[in-house]
Amino acid sequence: MNGTVGGTVGGTVGGRVLREDAWGKVLGQAAFPADVRREGQIYAVAVRSPHAHARIRGLKLDEARKAEGVVAVLTSADVPHNGHGVLYRDQPVLVQDHVRMAGDPVVLVGAETLAEARTAAGLVEVDYEVLPGLFDPEEAMKEGVPALHPEIHGSTNIVYHLPVCKGNVAKGWAEAEVTVERDYQTQMLDHAFLQPEAVLAYVDERGHLVVEVATQYAHYDRGEIAHALGLKFNQVRVKTVSVGGAFGGREDISLQIMAALMAWRTLRPVKMENTREESFHSHSKRHPMRMHYKTGATRAGKLTVLEARIVGDAGAYASWSPNILRKAAIHATGPYEIPNVRVDAYAVLTNNPYTGAMRGFGAAQPVLAYESQMDLLARELGLSPMELRLRNICRVGSETATGQVLTGSVGMEECLKAVKSYLGEVSAR
Amino acid sequence: MKIELTVNGVARILEVEPEERLLDVLRERLHLTGTKEGCGEGECGACTVIMDGKTVNSCMVLAAQADGHAVTTIEGLGNRGSLHPVQKAFLEEGAVQCGFCTPGMVLSAKALLDRSPHPGKEQIAVAMSGNLCRCTGYDKILRAVERAAGEVKE
Amino acid sequence: MKKRGRGLGCAWYGTGYGNGFPDVSSAFVEIHDDGSVSVLTGAIDVGQGSSTIFAQIAAEELGIDPEEVTVISGDTDVTPDSGTSAATRHTYNTGNAVIKAVAQAKASLLTYAARALHCTTADGIELKDHKVRVKGEPSRSLPLAELVSKARLEGERFLGSDSYTARTTRVNPETGQGAPYWPYAFGSQVAEVEVDTETGNVQVLRVAAAHDLGKAINPLQAEGQIAGGIAQGVGFALLEEVRLSEGRIKNPTFSQYLIPTVLDMPEIRAILVEEPEGTGPYDAKGLGEPAMLPTIAAIVNAIDDAVGVRITSLPATPEKILAALAEQSKK
Repeated sequence: MNGTVGGTVGGTVGGRVLREDAWGKVLGQAAFPADVRREGQIYAVAVRSPHAHARIRGLKLDEARKAEGVVAVLTSADVPHNGHGVLYRDQPVLVQDHVRMAGDPVVLVGAETLAEARTAAGLVEVDYEVLPGLFDPEEAMKEGVPALHPEIHGSTNIVYHLPVCKGNVAKGWAEAEVTVERDYQTQMLDHAFLQPEAVLAYVDERGHLVVEVATQYAHYDRGEIAHALGLKFNQVRVKTVSVGGAFGGREDISLQIMAALMAWRTLRPVKMENTREESFHSHSKRHPMRMHYKTGATRAGKLTVLEARIVGDAGAYASWSPNILRKAAIHATGPYEIPNVRVDAYAVLTNNPYTGAMRGFGAAQPVLAYESQMDLLARELGLSPMELRLRNICRVGSETATGQVLTGSVGMEECLKAVKSYLGEVSAR
Repeated sequence: MKIELTVNGVARILEVEPEERLLDVLRERLHLTGTKEGCGEGECGACTVIMDGKTVNSCMVLAAQADGHAVTTIEGLGNRGSLHPVQKAFLEEGAVQCGFCTPGMVLSAKALLDRSPHPGKEQIAVAMSGNLCRCTGYDKILRAVERAAGEVKE
Repeated sequence: MKKRGRGLGCAWYGTGYGNGFPDVSSAFVEIHDDGSVSVLTGAIDVGQGSSTIFAQIAAEELGIDPEEVTVISGDTDVTPDSGTSAATRHTYNTGNAVIKAVAQAKASLLTYAARALHCTTADGIELKDHKVRVKGEPSRSLPLAELVSKARLEGERFLGSDSYTARTTRVNPETGQGAPYWPYAFGSQVAEVEVDTETGNVQVLRVAAAHDLGKAINPLQAEGQIAGGIAQGVGFALLEEVRLSEGRIKNPTFSQYLIPTVLDMPEIRAILVEEPEGTGPYDAKGLGEPAMLPTIAAIVNAIDDAVGVRITSLPATPEKILAALAEQSKK
């Protein structure tokens, strides 16, 4: 096809090579999971909790089971090993008794058509005892507050705490001639990838379970499906079709195990397709973070000390929260050498939607804090924002707050120089 | 109910449900899955098709409303042997990443160039503003439409 | 009144899983009888373009065109586990795995070629322009396809399978000390904004973005990553928020959860800074996540430059900006 389009421009490595899959994408041929189908497929729909924190007293499934076109109605009792998760298997495939967030799936309905599945899902009755919820991580981290996952994390909702300690902060404050102290807050975000989650699952001619899905990690999905259903890895094939954006929102399991379970139980091909609203309820979110920053510098414009406290709302399940708050702590200084540092980062469980990986992965939120601090300090010092940064950035040989010496590619200064002409004169206020 | 419409130049007579959307007809009945569903409320433009020369969100059009009309989907535009100039420009400018928005984007651009072969930058941006993309930042998509405008023959 | 301002944002990003987590990528390689190649890896192209990068790397190593390399990915029956499409890790980590796997196939090919070309050592053979050549004696060469199919008839196959593991150590849980990530990527952006003091509305006019990615294996895709990152940064800084009430999402639709449209986007100048990373494939590190990070700060700092208010809580909505302006006028 090189004749039609310019083909490769500028050779191989370093060249503006065109992506092969772009052909199928501009022609409408690329198959995303909602686009694949299999003869005899049924549709599955999850019934999700509208409550953020509740006990399930009982289920009434008779009406749904009797409804037109219904093939199977499944509950937690049908899941051999009812848990999944990237660090802890703390998230149920279908909730048995303890709902921890709004959107938790409770019942799975399979029917001949999507419309019949949705109608039958509407006939499922779940008797919830609504419990008081924890919605503020500062509250949830207090002692004596009910723990959301005592079996995993004991009596606390703090799933992770990392202190990063370097040098001597008292010495840093003694040397500081200018101090800036502020509170910062970032919001909960959705990945909003354009392709809502969808899955096709079926048992193939070998008796193996095949799951066609858009995912960031097929091998992880395979492991979680095999675990939940009690199968060997080689009995489960996860096949990735075109992925319509991900940004971290396709790292945790969403529909994969539910669709696989329905296919394994009914021996029918099973399709699940999220609406946009269901999509919002079935993948992780970006951690909202509260960040208290106190930064000190000398009149000469050298940073001497940083103290920071970062609290991230993990929501109802741990997902990658420990890793994300670790990353926040490690990156809290920004790309600057600060000799004296104390950072404390916490990930706290609440009854909010669970938070996990999203582009930037905990290194994103602190950018608001550390870069705002730099501009505020520059103003206090009468230096340009560019100049203050140039006096403090990491270069080859710099030591980070974790004591790591940067020995390889450290292009911070080159990046600053490259954008300098776009900054113009910034008026001192 | 029975509807008659033309899809990519082919006359179709179909029996549809009253609540059925044009999007469902295309995807489920005709298996034209190049038209995507991203939101179901006319916000994202992934389901854009051209109806009688104008772009519509096919999730917001009832099948019955398409009765008697001519619909063009991404499958009706070009093929590997002969790409539409907009498709070619999207390839060459690197305007495709995950590709989920691409069919809708291509059709919005085609409809613009059909009615206005030499659009200005702002006109292009306005014409593309009903199509969301989460990957590309739109930069290369705009370049692709400009490039296609240069290649489209009046 | 509309007021303009410019702001600077810098960011860094440790790539890879980090903290001593085994960060392993794997690849299988087969050189076919006509000199074309298959690369099999679990690494999934989620739109970022990883499969193109792997094709380019394998092609460069073997002296063929990227179009002659088929990358098969993300199928657990077929491809080896290569970790998550995350952590800005595939170009660096899986790219290195592809190089190592290709190197295996290439080593046996070069050994065979040395015999076929009557050269005393494989070190004297190179692969270029679809040919197997004796270094320094370009007239002595064989077409790659001819050599591979000849080898097949003699029972020789050129295959490779290998893994690459990133270097990382676990930080001390009491002090946070350690070398958790390698390599780090850096970026710096300048945003110019226009703030409407009547409505509180912020329009981002221009963003210049310089990112150190080690080496741009594909500049076209790198520019696409930067522009996409800026878009998500604009959404983060100005538009997006999942709103909750008692833990319930109040705005689970695209009419209520607003992501940037083309009309929200600034004019973009992407600058690729290449500080070679010796451990990376062709000196490359990563770019995907870092591309959006400086945008957040550049916009917030530009708002302050324009109208003198410091927004500390995101998103910087018109309501927050108007409230801050009102507070400012009281002082």
